[in-house]
Amino acid sequence: MTDKRPKVLVVDDAATVRLYHRTLLDNAGFEVAEAANGLEAVEAALSTAFDLFVIDVNMPKMDGYACVETLRSETVGTPAPVLMISTEDRPGDADRAYAAGANLYLVKPVDAERLARVARMLTAGIAA
Amino acid sequence: MGLVRRDAPPPEETAAPPTTGTLMRQLDDADPDCRREAALGLGGVAEAVPALLRRIAVETEPLVRDAVLTTLAAHDTAKVADGLGGHLASDDAGLRTAAAEALATMPVSVPAIIPGLLTDPDHDVRVMTAMVLADLPHPESQAWLAQMIAEDAHPNVVTAAIDALLPSLGPEHHDLLRAAVQRFPDDPFLRFTVEAALR
Repeated sequence: MTDKRPKVLVVDDAATVRLYHRTLLDNAGFEVAEAANGLEAVEAALSTAFDLFVIDVNMPKMDGYACVETLRSETVGTPAPVLMISTEDRPGDADRAYAAGANLYLVKPVDAERLARVARMLTAGIAA
Repeated sequence: MGLVRRDAPPPEETAAPPTTGTLMRQLDDADPDCRREAALGLGGVAEAVPALLRRIAVETEPLVRDAVLTTLAAHDTAKVADGLGGHLASDDAGLRTAAAEALATMPVSVPAIIPGLLTDPDHDVRVMTAMVLADLPHPESQAWLAQMIAEDAHPNVVTAAIDALLPSLGPEHHDLLRAAVQRFPDDPFLRFTVEAALR
């Protein structure tokens, strides 16, 4: 039997954050893969069709904004929704995320119920 | 047919290496490759540090930025640490994370700026400081991270410090982690992080 669960790529340099989001999304019915930075995420997106990206902002090698811009570029061109989750809550952070191509920007921490709800809405094509 | 002796080719003219002044001017060249070459060519040139610090504040090309930071970090001086420490508050995510990576390779000069970073009023700067301490090869790094976990008022800073300390966590840290959960009982991620660390 094939796995019909929506595929999510969790992108964060912090191992505990990846584990946290993996656990919450797995419990909510998603198939979860991980990447530790933007470059790994882009490489993964070139070989796998994900249904959702959950991306941090501050990461080594390629930050979250650059990652989203690359995912939206002609090179990758993925239409999958992007949820950015960051510790950054400065004025303008969300605007920067949306300008890069993110669908939604949330500030950490995001509780289990909210993350599951937002992930379901984004993968269903509903603006969260 | 016998071998034909050819005249030896004339020696190639070798250009003189660019002067420090030329390289410093090339840091502002319109061509990113030229700027990158200039940054790398200024390795070990102390008088170029101010120009490199000015460049890193405005550089947007990742490859050039990496070259400038590599050259700056190799100096590992107070001036460079102060200059790069200021970029931990940058609105440019690429710059602040690249600055954090560079600072983590400067164990001589960075310890002097850590006390100031730990008390920075911007909690995002303190989160970035945890990223620096995660990789800073210094005997006090773990103690500073433990201090952040015990005392910082923002849960995102505490969880960043826990994540940074994770590779070296031992039984001696368990009470510290439990106390952090008690300080932020309503933070689900912090609780999850501590439970994962205690497993």
